[in-house]
Amino acid sequence: MELYEYSAHELSKMLSEKKCSSEELTKSVLDRAAATDEKVGAYLTVCAEEALKKAREVDEKRAKETLHPLAGIPIGIKDNISTKGLLTTCASKMLYNYVPPFDAFVMKKVNAADMVVTGKLNMDEFAMGSSTENSYFKKTHNPHNLDCVPGGSSGGSAAAVAAGSAVISLGSDTGGSIRMPASYCGVVGLKPTYGSVSRYGLVAFASSLDQIGPFGRNVTDTAMLYGVICGHDNMDATSADREYPDFTALLNSDVKGLKIGIPEEYYGDGVDNSVKETVMNAVKELEKQGAQIVNISLPSTGYALNAYYIISSAEASSNLARFDGVKYGYRTENYDSLIDMYEKTRSEGFGDEVKRRIMLGTFVLSSGFFDAYYKKAKLVAIEIVKEFNAAFEKCDVIATPATPATAFKLGENIGDPTKMYAADICTVTVNIAGLPAISVPCGRVNNMPVGLQFIGRKFSEQTLLNAALAVENNYGEAKPVNV
Amino acid sequence: MSIDVKHLAKLARLRIEDDKLAKFEKDMESIVAMVEQLPEVSGDASGLDPEHPMKLREDVEGTTEALGTDKLTRSELLANAPKMQAGCVVVPKTVE
Repeated sequence: MELYEYSAHELSKMLSEKKCSSEELTKSVLDRAAATDEKVGAYLTVCAEEALKKAREVDEKRAKETLHPLAGIPIGIKDNISTKGLLTTCASKMLYNYVPPFDAFVMKKVNAADMVVTGKLNMDEFAMGSSTENSYFKKTHNPHNLDCVPGGSSGGSAAAVAAGSAVISLGSDTGGSIRMPASYCGVVGLKPTYGSVSRYGLVAFASSLDQIGPFGRNVTDTAMLYGVICGHDNMDATSADREYPDFTALLNSDVKGLKIGIPEEYYGDGVDNSVKETVMNAVKELEKQGAQIVNISLPSTGYALNAYYIISSAEASSNLARFDGVKYGYRTENYDSLIDMYEKTRSEGFGDEVKRRIMLGTFVLSSGFFDAYYKKAKLVAIEIVKEFNAAFEKCDVIATPATPATAFKLGENIGDPTKMYAADICTVTVNIAGLPAISVPCGRVNNMPVGLQFIGRKFSEQTLLNAALAVENNYGEAKPVNV
Repeated sequence: MSIDVKHLAKLARLRIEDDKLAKFEKDMESIVAMVEQLPEVSGDASGLDPEHPMKLREDVEGTTEALGTDKLTRSELLANAPKMQAGCVVVPKTVE
């Protein structure tokens, strides 16, 4: 067995017992990336030299002191998370040459834990998309079937972990961008409670919905990485000031007495029958192990997607106004005035999907349309929050499919934006309500992975991780896929 | 609803090429047709302040200590600028 095939929690033990060095491990992961990435296309930037240098430093440090459990473990980072001195493009021509002068909060945490960054991972441009096909630079392929998309927008983060070209990775989730690719690629992805992970240094898409979160091939690895990145940060005004437990130490797959809510709205017409069945079978297994199934209703779910696209695009149109070609990033070659420079820079720098979202956001916020769109969407969002609150009076977690179907083919939905948007139908409500949710593999349909999504109360990540661990124990941990 | 893409693009400081205009119009119309399907929810009953529906939260001022964690030099901040001259960012002339 090659070193890249082990999970982070196994490697943590192997490193501390000196059964391998971080340098050997990092080399194995980099070799795996070199061998697979031509087919998978998960990486936008590989920083092999820096990674090996860091690994050697960690090995030397380990000889003298006790290190963090994830010290020396290679990690891949989504390309919208600012990494000091390392290209951060958001998979956009607009930032093709942007090298951040500072680290995101999560990178400070990752570096403080002495983890080894192997590179930056592909994504939909500015995290707008559900297939990673909107990247300006390249397409990422699903390691389980190279003709299929890995999901998006954190497609590179999920595909790298699935293929073994990263042990663990970080992504971001605005409407499902962690859970959806995790589901498509057969790995675990956690979207934390809004405010539990600082957004400082995350390139903003929709600030009231964005949240950074971890990917792993199993629940334990995901819990370990979440434990590293959560925590209060003064640099993010929405950061929650609270204490977090040791998630890994408290992992417990005993589901006896756990009340699992099943919302009928997530098992309706828009969801593939085989996917529903697979997810329900996984829930029934938990029932056999002592969990209770409770039927619940979340009536506004059918409007969530519409409210989501209005709110997220409104915020995006404002957030992306900063890209003007003046202080950083792409600037057009020829222009004859300031306005001309702005318009040409933005038109040449942004891809079509980003332009559509900016224009949708501009439209819903414009005079005469504001009340009919944005205000209505915000009211629906409040209804969604109320409905979740009522549901959590009756249950501890809510179980749904993470996606309405398994991974689709590359090119299948790219010409039809509304069809692409429908892939987010199971995930957007969570971001609107600021809740945590996890996608965990629970079997296959048409030989492609299916993800079960657990949604929890705010800051109930431990409950979600425990429930996901129970599912994982029934289906087994993911191993790197042969590609 | 028909969407004036050229006008929207202008508001957003974008420019849509003529050969792409028809496709953008079709896409934007189908997106708007999708998102406009929203129920009537009473603003008063929901707890949303109808005068300030965009209000997200109170801003919290960061502490000086926290703000000082990334002490960036002028050259670090300007290192990504597309066009520089004498330590300044170059932009087109805006005042005659």
